[in-house]
Amino acid sequence: MNDHYDAIVIGAGHNGLVTATYLAKAGLRVLVLERREMVGGAAVTEEIFPGFKFDTGAHCINRLHPTVVSDLQLAKHGLELLPLDPAVFSPTLDGDHLLLWRTPELTVDSIGQLSETDAKRWNGFAALVAKATGLLESIYSAPPDVLSKKKKDVWELLKMAGRLRRLGKRDMTEVLRVLPMTAVELLDEWFESDLLKGTLGAVGITGILQGPMAAGTAFLFLHHHVGAKQGVLRAPLRVRGGTGGLARALESVARSAGVEIRTNAWVERIVTEAGVATGVTLVDGEEIAGRRIISNADPSRTFCGLLDPFNLDPDFVRRVRNIKFKGVCARVNLALGELPDFACVPGDGPHLRGVISISPSLKYLERAFDDAKYGEPSREPYLEAVIPSLTDPSLAPDGKHVMSILVQYAPYHLKDGVWDDAKRDALGDRVVATLAAYAPNIESAILHRQVLTPLDLEAVFGLTEGNIYHGEMTLDQLFFMRPVPGWARYRSPVEGLYLCGAGTHPGGGVTGAPGYNSAQEILKDSK
Amino acid sequence: MGKNARYDAVIIGGGHNGLITAAYLARAGKRAVVLERRHLVGGSAVTEEIFPGFKFSALSYVVSLLRPDIIRDLELARHGLELLPLESTLTPLPNGDYLMRGADHDETRRELYRHSPKDAEAYDDFGKLMYHLAFAMKHILDVVPPNPTSLRPRDLLGLLDFGKHFLGLPPEQFYALCKLMTMSAADFLDEWFETEPLKATMSASGIIGTFLGVRSPGTAYVLLHHYMGEIDGVFRAWGFAKGGTGAVSESIASAARELGAEIRTEASVEQVIVKNGKAVGVALESGEEIYGRVVVTGVDPKVTFQKLVEPQHLPSDFLDAIRRFKIRGSSGKVNLALGELPNLTCLPGSGPHLRGAISMSPSLEYMERAYDDAKYGNFSRQPYMDIIIPSMIDPGMAPPGKHVMSIFVQWAPFELNGGWNDDQREAFGDAVVDTLSQVAPNLKNAIIHRHVVTPWDMQETYGLTEGNIFHGELSLHQLFFMRPAHPWANYRTPLKNLYQCGSSTHPGGGITGASGRLAALEILKDW
Repeated sequence: MNDHYDAIVIGAGHNGLVTATYLAKAGLRVLVLERREMVGGAAVTEEIFPGFKFDTGAHCINRLHPTVVSDLQLAKHGLELLPLDPAVFSPTLDGDHLLLWRTPELTVDSIGQLSETDAKRWNGFAALVAKATGLLESIYSAPPDVLSKKKKDVWELLKMAGRLRRLGKRDMTEVLRVLPMTAVELLDEWFESDLLKGTLGAVGITGILQGPMAAGTAFLFLHHHVGAKQGVLRAPLRVRGGTGGLARALESVARSAGVEIRTNAWVERIVTEAGVATGVTLVDGEEIAGRRIISNADPSRTFCGLLDPFNLDPDFVRRVRNIKFKGVCARVNLALGELPDFACVPGDGPHLRGVISISPSLKYLERAFDDAKYGEPSREPYLEAVIPSLTDPSLAPDGKHVMSILVQYAPYHLKDGVWDDAKRDALGDRVVATLAAYAPNIESAILHRQVLTPLDLEAVFGLTEGNIYHGEMTLDQLFFMRPVPGWARYRSPVEGLYLCGAGTHPGGGVTGAPGYNSAQEILKDSK
Repeated sequence: MGKNARYDAVIIGGGHNGLITAAYLARAGKRAVVLERRHLVGGSAVTEEIFPGFKFSALSYVVSLLRPDIIRDLELARHGLELLPLESTLTPLPNGDYLMRGADHDETRRELYRHSPKDAEAYDDFGKLMYHLAFAMKHILDVVPPNPTSLRPRDLLGLLDFGKHFLGLPPEQFYALCKLMTMSAADFLDEWFETEPLKATMSASGIIGTFLGVRSPGTAYVLLHHYMGEIDGVFRAWGFAKGGTGAVSESIASAARELGAEIRTEASVEQVIVKNGKAVGVALESGEEIYGRVVVTGVDPKVTFQKLVEPQHLPSDFLDAIRRFKIRGSSGKVNLALGELPNLTCLPGSGPHLRGAISMSPSLEYMERAYDDAKYGNFSRQPYMDIIIPSMIDPGMAPPGKHVMSIFVQWAPFELNGGWNDDQREAFGDAVVDTLSQVAPNLKNAIIHRHVVTPWDMQETYGLTEGNIFHGELSLHQLFFMRPAHPWANYRTPLKNLYQCGSSTHPGGGITGASGRLAALEILKDW
């Protein structure tokens, strides 16, 4: 019964599993508690309709933290990453299309069909992105405590300034100039093709309630390109067997490191005694004692749900309550009897293997946002679709396909009422109609349809307000301000309670970086 | 060239900054001449009798942040500067109610309480925080921005001083400042208040002169400006100059003349004369050449570096930076001569409320929708307006019994769909009057004359490129050491002996005079 663990991790999301593994490898006795019947959090693959398997959460990943990949030897545990090539296919209604490939020369050729000038500028732009992301990567370790007077912290801060300086005068100012910009400003400086700008700009708005004309969207664009090969932009990876394959690999490595994992174990409360976290209680009443509690849940759930806010400093609680979540994404999963047939590029072909991005222009994205800021789903939403069964036939029955579509904007907070069945269906219809404008056969190809609204994402994955990043990735909620100012280093005002999820620096996306950083900080405290 | 120089300093443009630079240089014993294209000095800070008997502060209409050092150094009070307080801000609401905030603390509190007891409580705390933050930020208004890429002791010390100053703030203030720099005005205010007209009216100060909406990140910072003026205790944050804004310019001109500076109007500079890689003087449109040991430009950087200086004298990366400098105009001005006072539905008749500002900003959604029109190239159908009736405070501005009304209007994009012409100007004027008539039904009948200034007119008449009232947008990547372009934020330019003193340099727009003063001090350092 009441085993005494060195560390209890709440939530078996990919970050939770990463943290747990590192702690176990350091000799700690670790227990992971997962509410659902499967591990992975938002990195899961589920058979929603018989024979059709879907990535219900993240359907692509940008890049895993390279240290995590090598430390944990995930390949040995069955992880196989499939680079999408072409990376992106962007159709239009007027016959043009854009393909971004993993080979920069091919990308330049495709851009050249739209604009000779833009094709010439691609390499220059790619070089700027590489410099800026290089800098971001170097600060993606735990953020320094900027206000600390301790020598160690001041040194960290100076080291960071040093890295910035090493870029050289010109590049340093260029990077500093670009970071706070809007995606529109950044892309307008380089390109003229609406389709190219829309397709790149979409990366800068994913998951936030902002349009491409908002400051900070250039940053988000760069964030998603950290670690990308120069000239290969917006090039996500898929996991063989679905994103759940990553969860299975992480589970395997965790177990082999000695981590105990329990599914269907729903944590209701974090137990504290005199300001120190001492364990958790499950909904069925079971109490489990642990010396450290690490929450993979988002900060709002952790501090306002699992803890009694009355036991926390009101100032701290106010900061947590002020975290902006504002979920904006919905998910539509389609089981297809046949492949979509795009008017601008008919038939099957390599274009269907990439991410299909409905983002004809920055203006299109901004208009989609306009609806959302007044509390309505976009009339013409931005869509990011993948057909994983093309590269991974095991996901669908023979000759059939699965298509998962990330939909933006579908605001969590609606102007009129809340998300219900009628609104869910209307959203699904709207998404299909938007896609049908580009690929007219899609409506008749649909065998089954699943629609997940932000409210559903909250219910299924425990994402507050359906925010896929555990808190908006806007400039005011990053770095030493993430999750809340003063507590950016994975610790919390409750002794022995840590965070390891996407709500902490460096934030969302399937990277494992928050989990890795958190484990390092926890181990520092354990020495 | 030195020996033939007639003047020590030739200053292009008789705006308030140019005049201040001239005055400070003259005060240091230098022979300065100011060359103004128009028939009167002041630039955008002018009073013009547009219709017989009716005097208008044609563009800039309130004085907020004129640095107290300047008022003291130049003894502006002795030269006729008299500032009259604007004591209140009234926001009429569509439901016939209103929100009024005034100089009387208790009255404002009671009024806020009527709308929301919670907001009335929060208002004082908010004011305190902003006061402290404004105090912290004031520090940077009066210093030359250090160049972070330079290793010169002066820049390093400057940076160190900055680091010490900001990192030395109490954590609560430091983090609030970080949020202000990165958040939208609406999001920041959402953390404090719930009353829509309060949030909308306060947020308005964040968007004045920018091509951004109240929900655009980066707009929160300007909220601080509202609180800065009060600190010095010299006069209230917002004041009106007796005799109109032109009186500010005239008092500075008078001080400059007394100190020995020469001021020439109707002297339109056509070119900066360059010899041996140095600026040596200017050529006027009349063909006259005027030489000086240094040339100082008070006009915006687009005019200076794209028109007045020939491109071969400037490095190409600097020209690129100037080309990229954002200077989108977003506002217009409507000046009305009135036969009678407006009769507001929410507060009928005359009264003290007409002696303050009237703000058409009933809700955040109203503000944001006004911005949406502009994003797609239209002027706002229902614009945000900041209105004052100067003749109520200073009867000399209009004939007895009659009044002048100054209406600042946003948004009016410079790049209007179809371009600005006489019809569009009238349509814009109509939109303003129609919107205002909704809260003051007698307005249309009261209008004797109407003077509409579009962004196009601001460019053509007042020389403001694209009609941008700040000589360049005050967005994060165009502030501080990036204003107007790195590394030329220290009032110098790549062309030797050419200096900048206008609003396009740190600390930016508004009638602060800080740019003009700092430029003069830098010029004297190089002397």
